[in-house]
Amino acid sequence: MKVFSSTCTFDYSWEEVSTANWRKYSPWNDKSTHVVAVDTLSRTIDPETGILRTERLITCDQSVPQWVLSLFGGSATSHVYEISYVDLKLKRVTMCSTNLTWSNVLNVQETVIYQPSPSKPTSTTNFNQEAKITALCGGWQKIKNKVEEASVERFSQNATRGREGFEAVLEMSRRVFGEQRERENGRLQP
Amino acid sequence: MAASIAPECNDIKEKYDTCFLKWYSEKYLRGHTASNECEELFSKYKTCLHKALKEKGIDSMLDDARKANSESDTEFLRRS
Repeated sequence: MKVFSSTCTFDYSWEEVSTANWRKYSPWNDKSTHVVAVDTLSRTIDPETGILRTERLITCDQSVPQWVLSLFGGSATSHVYEISYVDLKLKRVTMCSTNLTWSNVLNVQETVIYQPSPSKPTSTTNFNQEAKITALCGGWQKIKNKVEEASVERFSQNATRGREGFEAVLEMSRRVFGEQRERENGRLQP
Repeated sequence: MAASIAPECNDIKEKYDTCFLKWYSEKYLRGHTASNECEELFSKYKTCLHKALKEKGIDSMLDDARKANSESDTEFLRRS
């Protein structure tokens, strides 16, 4: 097993980040173009805790190293299953994702957490990402290592692009919400 | 907003996503967690989506993933 982790801080409040997170893979994000579809499968609110639980299916279309395709076959379209939890009391968004495609060869378990940064909790938000990548294919350890290494590398590239793309979404989101507020204020005035 | 895996569901998905985002930012984040006024749109979107997932054979992959990942609920849905 290999572990990939990354952290960063966004200069936006937790409320802004958790809202923009729902449209992370919108056309405003021109970096994560490998994500071609995001579908919501279920959504419930726990009556006791108020925790919002969402299941989504994320569909990606991206170039896979040719040797991986030759070894394991399959197509370049892959699916990810994600369960997320928004805990309003803790101000925490947790997203747990796992791969549906090639699950007999490779298991990827990713956890992402968004929480207000302790130093500036009202205006900045910490992002923590951890992915555990395990090659399951029987046989040579060498091949397993190679599969895991290639996956970690791809993960790292996507993480950087994801961060850049999300920054763009956050900026657009703030602008659009600002304009909307202005319009509403304008309407209220006689 | 991102597209749906099933192009025929894009319209209803777009309507639902817009409704949800408005509810999330204006109601949910302000502590009004009780109701979800987008339920009707969601139900229509789900009907469309489930048909497509079945046709593509993704529904059975999802069932397996649900079984394998049920422990995250225990960890993240507990009372804080």
